[in-house]
Amino acid sequence: MSVRLKGTDAAIQIRWIPKYTTLERFLHWVHTATFIPLALTGFVLFAPFLAPLAQGEAGTLIRLIHRIAAIFFGGVPIIYALAQPRRMLMNLKEFLSFSKYDLLWLKGAIPYYIFGRHSDMPPQPRFNTGERATAVVMVLGTITFGITGLAMWFLKGIMSPFLFQLAVFFHDLMFIITFVMFMVHFYLAVVHPMMWQSLVSMRYGVVSESYARAHHAMWYYGEKRAKQMWEELKARGGH
Amino acid sequence: MAERLAMYIDTSKCMGCRGCQVACKQWNDRQGYVPGVRETHNVGTYENPLKLDPQTWTRIKFREYDDGQRFQWLFLKEGCMHCTNAVCVDVCPTGALKYGPYGIITFERELCNGCGYCSQFCPFHVPQLEVINRLTGEAKSSKCVFCQDRTTNGLKPACVKTCPAGALDWGDREAMIAKAEARVQELKAERGFPKANVYGKTQLGGLGRIYVLTAPPEAYDLPADPKYPAMSTLWQKILQPLGGIAFGATILGTITAFFIARRNVHMEEVE
Repeated sequence: MSVRLKGTDAAIQIRWIPKYTTLERFLHWVHTATFIPLALTGFVLFAPFLAPLAQGEAGTLIRLIHRIAAIFFGGVPIIYALAQPRRMLMNLKEFLSFSKYDLLWLKGAIPYYIFGRHSDMPPQPRFNTGERATAVVMVLGTITFGITGLAMWFLKGIMSPFLFQLAVFFHDLMFIITFVMFMVHFYLAVVHPMMWQSLVSMRYGVVSESYARAHHAMWYYGEKRAKQMWEELKARGGH
Repeated sequence: MAERLAMYIDTSKCMGCRGCQVACKQWNDRQGYVPGVRETHNVGTYENPLKLDPQTWTRIKFREYDDGQRFQWLFLKEGCMHCTNAVCVDVCPTGALKYGPYGIITFERELCNGCGYCSQFCPFHVPQLEVINRLTGEAKSSKCVFCQDRTTNGLKPACVKTCPAGALDWGDREAMIAKAEARVQELKAERGFPKANVYGKTQLGGLGRIYVLTAPPEAYDLPADPKYPAMSTLWQKILQPLGGIAFGATILGTITAFFIARRNVHMEEVE
């Protein structure tokens, strides 16, 4: 794609690399559009100062909205697994592969995300350490929410009270973990000035070549070459 | 502290007539026999109904007990214990369950959203959830409220008023305890019940029901030492405050990070 610069004859060429399928983007937004109402309606039962919203018919409605949103939230991984099982497995495999470069990423993350120093950032595959950690937490969260949520919904009074109590506890624990992750994810993906391409990629499914090169070198160059370049760069004493 | 009232229940005088069950239903407008809806079936026990339910806030539990020396047919009036440390009040997210006057755990049906936490956390399994629609989650909790409309106006609960055997009484909690202790002494010394005991004096910080039992609590299927559920403490006193801190720290952290990043990041260098 070429972009003509305003008022000049000059044009810049941007090469876009596909990152997500259409279905992945659609499901990501369904996930977002259900996670937020789920979190907000769940929060009503969590925070004592919101008790007025939890009372009586309002509370019954809040619980109903929570359930309707939960059906769509739970439908996301099911539709993904049915429609694009190989993409799903590929992503899951990528989410779960961590290496020493992730430790380096964690070390470099604060200088980078807060002070804008890119030189400390090691090469990363298609998803960086933070993205993979978020994804793993979200996958674990979805499984936990699914099991404990369905149990509280359909087995209240049927399963033992202690199991119900455990379900309440783990549902809440996962809410805290996933919501913290969500807030950080939202900040980095939407608010952070440097990460403007993440929203583009979730809208159009592509990232620019230069972005891929800078942020996901193992994906762009291949793992071996990216690591080699990193080692050479380090040997030379950084950027 | 304001006056604490309690119900005295002498199981040695109870004859299992279940007048209390009927009086409770009458005063609190609960259903009894409704053809096609609530019917009675003989399943080989005098207990009726077999457990507490949304329409039955109190009932007589029948238990057989043989300690090797004598056989006893035990009658226990079941219902909300009105604990001093009431977990139902703590887990209720709506405030429908509250510590009311005289130590009564009051219940406001209009505030209840049907979450059912009270029914799942109560160590006595007392609150009963009336499930109106399992799919939508529409439900209402229900339990004995010591006839709060009567007792806050100086009357006795309906069950106490109706008891023909004199097994029930209502009044100042200390007085009820003294009465129960005197009765236990009498049962032990004169009536041949060496295992007679008072139940409810200390359990969960002290119950609103003071029982005179003629056999150990376990014989009535009562927990001798009921515990405030550890899961509730872990959830509400530890996890939720930690969650609040985590949310606060994350919001503060990201806002601070944003302002620092904005000063340091030069967008013309950003890929």
